[in-house]
Amino acid sequence: MPRMAVRETNPSFMNGVPELLILRLLEQEEMYGYEIVQAIRERTDAVIAVGEGVVYPVLHGLEREGALKSRRKTVNGRSRVYYSVTRAGTKRLAALQQTWSGLTAAIQKMMAGGRHGEAIG
Amino acid sequence: MAKRLDELREKLLRAGVAPRHVRRTVMELEEHLADLRAEEERGGQSRADAERAALKRPGSMDELAQRVIAQPQFRSLSARAPWAVLGLGPVVGLGALWMLALVILVTGWMVFMPNSETPFVRVAGVAAVYFGLGRALYFAAPVLVGWWVGSVAARQRLRVTWLLLGWALLAWCGGMGQVTAQRTMESPSCKPIAILVGFASPWTTGHLLHVAVILALTAPPYAAWRLWSARTAVE
Repeated sequence: MPRMAVRETNPSFMNGVPELLILRLLEQEEMYGYEIVQAIRERTDAVIAVGEGVVYPVLHGLEREGALKSRRKTVNGRSRVYYSVTRAGTKRLAALQQTWSGLTAAIQKMMAGGRHGEAIG
Repeated sequence: MAKRLDELREKLLRAGVAPRHVRRTVMELEEHLADLRAEEERGGQSRADAERAALKRPGSMDELAQRVIAQPQFRSLSARAPWAVLGLGPVVGLGALWMLALVILVTGWMVFMPNSETPFVRVAGVAAVYFGLGRALYFAAPVLVGWWVGSVAARQRLRVTWLLLGWALLAWCGGMGQVTAQRTMESPSCKPIAILVGFASPWTTGHLLHVAVILALTAPPYAAWRLWSARTAVE
């Protein structure tokens, strides 16, 4: 099962990925924790699963740093905490995306057999 | 479900995570687990099976707790600086309440007995009630602050060592504190007032007894909580 493979093989490889994915999702629309977990699973075809136990520490950390803001909203009779990205969060997402793109390009180049890869910034 | 969340709450509090943050994490996780259970039920499971499956999905509570604990920004001030909250906090709190008591004393003196040399005389009627309020606040302040400190220690599962130190300091200040109020002699026409707050010297048996009484009145609510929590933990 891909989800388990991601979790169990090398969790440290995933460092920073939940933050990036969460910011990207919330940039598009506000969501609550359960929705975020489901959305990441669906949009990555279950290759990446941000565990239920991971999402809240990441959300709270980002909110504390000012990258996210939250509000309580009642939908269908159930009260939930919805998160959305702030201006600082948008900047942070842009920086993370740039780093991630550079990293994946460098890894792909390396994997393709390139011998003179550019330095990763 | 509630038992697992209680365990998580306890673990986070004992690790020094701020109670406000613990409350929020547990509340959101509870809502999340309810969503997972509903999802499992929609998949055709019975409620009991759905609940078991939902509890497995977030991983172990230990793992989750470790992720929260690993974020230092969520540690409470009491966990980061217990000496400040339980050592200095009670003394500052006592000072604030005593200040309020002194304001009552001085305003009562100026309003009810403007020509009296001292406010420590027998009074009646409204003045008695007013001065009684100030006196009650003055004498109850160490116990009230002690209860507050005890509730902070209980709520945040703080080490009892710091609490005992805070209480000892508080009881000593409360038992040894003295207030004197008199007119200054230099300019009787202006009738200025001098209020002096200090510590008793030399110590008398009365002062030491006062310290003991404060400690005896302060500790019981916290001790009762400790007994209760030990009993519920065993159950």
